[in-house]
Amino acid sequence: MRVLIVVPALNEESGLPPLLSELRAVAERDGFSAEIVVIDDASTDRTAEVAREHGARVVRLCRNLGIGGAVQTGLRLALREGFDCAVQMDVDGQHPPSELRKLVAAMQAPLAPDIVVGSRYLHGEGFQSTLPRRMGSGWLGWVLRLVTGQKTTDPTSGYRAYGRRALKLFNWSYPHDYPEPEALVLAKVAGLRVVEIPVVMKERQGGASSISIVHAPYYMLKVTAAILLAYARSWHRIEPRTL
Amino acid sequence: MQQAEQYWLFAAFCCVVATLLLRLVLRERITIQSSLWVFFSLAALVVLAVVPNLTTRLAHAMGFTLPSNFFFAIATGALALLHVHTLVTLSRTEARSITLTQELGILREKLDQIESARARPAPAGTPALPPPKKADAPHERT
Repeated sequence: MRVLIVVPALNEESGLPPLLSELRAVAERDGFSAEIVVIDDASTDRTAEVAREHGARVVRLCRNLGIGGAVQTGLRLALREGFDCAVQMDVDGQHPPSELRKLVAAMQAPLAPDIVVGSRYLHGEGFQSTLPRRMGSGWLGWVLRLVTGQKTTDPTSGYRAYGRRALKLFNWSYPHDYPEPEALVLAKVAGLRVVEIPVVMKERQGGASSISIVHAPYYMLKVTAAILLAYARSWHRIEPRTL
Repeated sequence: MQQAEQYWLFAAFCCVVATLLLRLVLRERITIQSSLWVFFSLAALVVLAVVPNLTTRLAHAMGFTLPSNFFFAIATGALALLHVHTLVTLSRTEARSITLTQELGILREKLDQIESARARPAPAGTPALPPPKKADAPHERT
């Protein structure tokens, strides 16, 4: 199975070297062919140079698109170059490369799903985030369940694997602001099979979350509205048989 | 005898705004397509301002007692429509800009790969690739 690991990065020159070295070691140890592409979201530091020095492919965006635009760039590349699967992961240390094999193994299983989401809350192992964040995740999971009928324990997890059908869908349309929960709605409405598997996540090693305690209520409101609107919009636009 | 209601000063103000818009169109600061709605709205306002008692008659026909209320209701509706039109244009432009940025990034990565493959020494017996042609300097618009 050809796997493309998509790492969106903005000013991450210090966080990239340990991640890229560990990713190489894990791919070698677990015996799967993986290419790594760093999507440099218009960084102002040496992110692109550092990524190249560590053997990764680098797509440099000439203006900042945010997490959604950066991830979609990687997924488009994976689709165009015929990869069987793309794995999205963060560079801030929350997503240990050692958990990668679980995602890839789930994609290789018989009756493989189209999207595999790594959930930190499914077995409750590893870093479990703060109480307000868990409450927020719980709320979004409830809204998603209401809309899609599927239980989701970690709707904001950015540790995910996408199969070919998911790559085709997200090449066509991918949400841009805080895209993870909304992407799950698009996938479900398009008839894709989404499964969650337990993964162990770590505490953020560097950088700060884009969602502060002040902005959290606005974020929740915005994402809830985005989920409902994505569901309503998708009725009219997605035809699963075309995927 | 009813006094004819004409608002020449307001009509002149609309003409000044239309002239400013026209200058912007001629200098290609805004496109004809995006400014058409504003021109139509201004033309309608000028007609309302200069045709005697038109505002009063239209206001009464549409159930408004005061022409000023009718005028503000129409102006608010027109501004709301113009705003929606601007939002649609902006959203479409933003979506195109995102796609172009992504395509540019992917193509640049491909180009980097090709250039680094060129820079690597070719194996013995392989014919050398011709040097890349110099591209013309792009025409820059000011």
